[in-house]
Amino acid sequence: MLSLYIPGSSFLHRMPAGIKLILLAFLSAVLMPVTEPLVLAGALGLALGLYALLGKEGIRQVQLVRPLLPILVILLLLHAVTGFVMEGVSVVLRLLTMVLLANLVTLTTRMDDMMAAVAPMFRPLALVGISPRRPALAVTLVLRFVPVLLAVYGALSEAWRARTGRPASWRLIAPLALQALKLSDHVAEALIARGGADGLGRPAAARPPRRLS
Amino acid sequence: MAFWSRNVHGETTAACDPRRADYAVFSNVTLLRSGKTVLSNLSLTLSERRVAVIGLNGSGKSSFVRLLNGLLLPDNGEVQVYGADTRLVRAELPRHVGFVFQNPDHQAIFPTVAEEVAFGLTQLGEDRTVARAGALKFLGQHGCAALAERPFHDLSEGQKQLICILSVLVMRPDLVVLDEPFASLDGLATRQLMRRLVGLPQKLVMVSHDLQLIQGFDRVLWIEDGLLRMDGEPGTVLPAYVDDIDRRAAAEPA
Repeated sequence: MLSLYIPGSSFLHRMPAGIKLILLAFLSAVLMPVTEPLVLAGALGLALGLYALLGKEGIRQVQLVRPLLPILVILLLLHAVTGFVMEGVSVVLRLLTMVLLANLVTLTTRMDDMMAAVAPMFRPLALVGISPRRPALAVTLVLRFVPVLLAVYGALSEAWRARTGRPASWRLIAPLALQALKLSDHVAEALIARGGADGLGRPAAARPPRRLS
Repeated sequence: MAFWSRNVHGETTAACDPRRADYAVFSNVTLLRSGKTVLSNLSLTLSERRVAVIGLNGSGKSSFVRLLNGLLLPDNGEVQVYGADTRLVRAELPRHVGFVFQNPDHQAIFPTVAEEVAFGLTQLGEDRTVARAGALKFLGQHGCAALAERPFHDLSEGQKQLICILSVLVMRPDLVVLDEPFASLDGLATRQLMRRLVGLPQKLVMVSHDLQLIQGFDRVLWIEDGLLRMDGEPGTVLPAYVDDIDRRAAAEPA
């Protein structure tokens, strides 16, 4: 299973999350107009080098791009058919580099640091009475529960195969959705049990008065 | 229902007093869930250090323990926790009452262990860096320093539940409620966790199907069909419970 974070202390881990996100946006903007395949190949090499810096686990994470490969092949073929092979190569190299760089940020940033980095963007929500902590927490929960939902899907397809002898079918979508809803209920309960999305920290007087639900 | 649409912040007019010996007082408590009576007219006082709750599935055990931390509120009657009506102090209850759920995967909110433990401290109002340092220290004190940076979903089931328990304990609750915390664990992990739990200074209320584990408890509540069928020391309640389920099983055709 691919994990979303590799523990470590590389310079990428030590770099503040905000800087990483800004650098990522900057690099993506810079790569956009580049069409020279050699330059793009160099950028890809650099990105791979950064993964190598993270050690064995980092190199293993490069396989994250595997599900992208069919799409990249199609892109390349489309360009080849229309007679723009080199442009196709550029597009593929650029996409690969960008995906790898973006994933590198995820791999080297702890969730709470990421939350703290993106929370200021949600600050305007306070104007309409929504705590900026909530959307940040929602993002965290999505990342936390991707592997859990994949495991639920795995269990469902196993159960399906055990009783039909056939590989997983689209029919699993409904039970998966139901399980996901049930899971979200459990998680909501667990969050409330530890003080809810807004926490217990603020003194009662500072909390907006609300009625009992 | 999504977590942000739940409103748990009632206005606080009374306050919990964690020094009270009788930490929970149920007075004529009736609880309905989707129109069905789950608990009916339950009255009891809890002051023992270790209380076990037993009963068949669907008997009302889980609902009973959810009344202790305000996850559920009574439809009739009153539940007082540390002297305060849970309806009035619902928002403050997580400070005093920690809750450990059956499935660790339903409880952990953060992708890595240290973040999960630190969350409890930020909930109490700690600043992020203080919370992180506190979480690492706490993990170290409990022999889990090596797990700090591990992704939660990579842990063994026993480690997952241990981290869930530590994430609750780091908030320094006065009472810890556990709803079948060992349901998905093997025998070794169960006993390891149980040793840690009985050593805690906190009061414990635990739902369990593993009767061996609760033999050393101070009191056992046997709940059946929303009623308190028996209440007493494990030496009297547990044999009666085992007799009862044996008799029922024998009455079924094989």
